[in-house]
Order: sequence, then structure tokens, then C-alpha cells
Amino acid sequence: MSQSQTEYQYKAYEPKLSPTWWLQSRRYFMFMMRELSSVFVAAFVLLLLYQLFLLSKGPEAYAAFQDSLLNPIYIVFYAIAFVFSVYHTITWLGVIGRIQVVRIGNFTLPPVVLTASTFVGFFAISAAIGYFFLR
Amino acid sequence: MSDKTISIRVTRFRPEEEDAPTEQVYQVPYQEDWVVLDALNYIKDHVDGTLSYRWSCRMGVCGSCGMMVNGEPKLTCATFLKDYYPNEMVVQPLANFPIVRDLVVDVEDFMAKLKAVQPWIIREEEKPIEEGEYLQSPLELKEYKQFSQCINCLLCYSACPVYGLEDVFVGPAALALSYRYNMDSRDEGYAQRTVVAASSEGIWECTFIGECSVVCPKGVDPAAAIQRTKVETTTNWFKSFLMPWGNK
Repeated sequence: MSQSQTEYQYKAYEPKLSPTWWLQSRRYFMFMMRELSSVFVAAFVLLLLYQLFLLSKGPEAYAAFQDSLLNPIYIVFYAIAFVFSVYHTITWLGVIGRIQVVRIGNFTLPPVVLTASTFVGFFAISAAIGYFFLR
Repeated sequence: MSDKTISIRVTRFRPEEEDAPTEQVYQVPYQEDWVVLDALNYIKDHVDGTLSYRWSCRMGVCGSCGMMVNGEPKLTCATFLKDYYPNEMVVQPLANFPIVRDLVVDVEDFMAKLKAVQPWIIREEEKPIEEGEYLQSPLELKEYKQFSQCINCLLCYSACPVYGLEDVFVGPAALALSYRYNMDSRDEGYAQRTVVAASSEGIWECTFIGECSVVCPKGVDPAAAIQRTKVETTTNWFKSFLMPWGNK
């Protein structure tokens, strides 16, 4: 315990953080949503890996699973996972400019340029993947 | 003086009388140019001399008058009544710290952590005074200047739920100052500070909520300093792993 408390004859009151601290402000809530989003992103990736596993078992096994994806539970899950993935991506890319310092000689790239370029890169790669799979 | 008044609900904690904090509401004259600290000083001077709180410079430099104002960590010398009037204001001690009395919190934990990151310039070997000062270019100054603006007001610790839940966390201001000295071209103490900053109680406790940077009254971005330290220490770890001869 601190020195000042041993000199002070009264015990300090130790407040405890409420379990609902993340509901006390919008910013805390959005942080928790960002944390929660990783659960859905992880579940999405596991399902993707499972589909790859089924592909190795043959076209029938894969087709049967694809049919099951029409189940409303899967549709709701993928809709939520999509929203969370977009949110996670935006929050992730949005902080790149603050974290990564890029210097070219004596010139430091402005954070806004760095952030904007990562978004441009993200949309370009997403568009390319979309074109490849949806054409 | 104006006839208008504003209600201020203040946390009281008198350890010789009570086991837990209570609240007391004071009516204070409303002045458009008054800050919360002016209102507290009015209470202390004219209403209730037993109210305890810390303050010193009244100009956002000393960092001693940080309190929770309507649930947000604020410097009370820079928080105007007019931004809340006519609603009641709630003034509480800084969150996440033990309360010593009324609005006074115990900051010894932070002081120990601050000392642990050695926020001063460390040289492996000091050069003789005759050789003159250590020169620094404006570009080198720019590397750390933002982080040197910290006034240790502890609003960032108060806004940090990680510190609230796990007080072993070194915390935003100490880690920002660690980064500040690591980025200083005159400093050679990176390895010594990293022992603390990159420990399990250091940067890796941070989940990047980012609220520390939002509440900082001096525009410091501790969250960025912590994430940059994460990138830097990880990069250095990979380098030492892939190129072990690089450290020799």
C-alpha cells in the first residue's frame, strides 16, 4: 500500500467499476461492439474453413451444406456477421493513420492520407474479389 | 453577482464519520465566466469550509484539479458552468482511484508507475559539459513533442476501464511518457523502459478503447503511443528472432 496511506490515519474508499460500465457511454458501448464483432468474424471464418473441408469430401457433401445455408438461422447469422465485419474493418482501418508513422526521407505522411489510402486499398481489393467471384 | 444559481451535487467522503461516500447538493451563484473550480472555491469560502479538493494553477497546466463532471473526467479549471446551466451538475472524484476525502483521490499508484518507466533522458554515458549540449533538429523534436505535453492530470486513467478493472495496468499517461522518451533522439534508455512498458502489465493490457485520448485536455494521444509501442516491440522481437546477430 502507498506510503501516504500509512501516514494518513484513515483508510481510503476503494470504488469498484460497475459490471455495466460499458453501458455508461456510447463510446464504451461501441468499443464493446467492436470486441463482440470479433466473435462473429471468427465464427464466419470457422464456417468458411468447414466449407473448404466439405469441398475435400466431394461435391455432394458441399452441395448439401450449401442447401442448409438457406435456413433462416444461417441467413440471420451471415447478415449479422456481415454488419460486424464491416464495422470491425472500418474501426481497424480508421486507426491506421494514428498508429503507423510512415516517413519518406524527411517527410512524414499525414495520418489522413495514410488512413484514406488504406480504405482505397480495401475497397479496391474487395471490388476485385467481388468481381472475380460474382461475375 | 447574478441572482441566478446552479445546483452542484458533490461527492462527500469523511472517513472519520462514514464508511462510504455520500452526496451533498450546494447552490452556487451562476456566473457565465465561472468554471467548476470557481464554484468549488465559492463553496469552500462561503458555504462549507470542510469540502476538500485539489487545485493549484487554475490554468490547465498543473493537472491537479481533475474530477468527474457529470460522469466525464475533466479539468475543473477548464470546465465552464455555462455548458451545463441550468441543469444540475454532478462533481465526483476521479474514477478508478481510491478516495481519500471528498474529491481528493490517492495517486500514489500512478506515481510509482510513472517512476517505473523512467520518464527522463537516460544516457549510457554522459558526455562532459565542455562538449556542450545535446543538439536536436526540429524534425527530431516533432517525433515526441505531442507526447511531452502530458501534465499527469490522470483524466486518462479515470477514463480507462482497463485500469478500472485491472489496476496493475501501467496505464495511459505512464506509457505515453515512456514512448515520449524512447522517441527522443538524445535518449538511450529504450531497453530499460521496455522491460516495464512491454511487460504483461504494460502495453499488452491495453485493448485500445481509446477513451484516454478522447479525454486528454492537452491533446496527447496515449492510445496511439501504446499501439505504436506494440508495433515497435513486436517488430523488434521479430528482428531479434530472425536476425539474432543484429543485437550484438
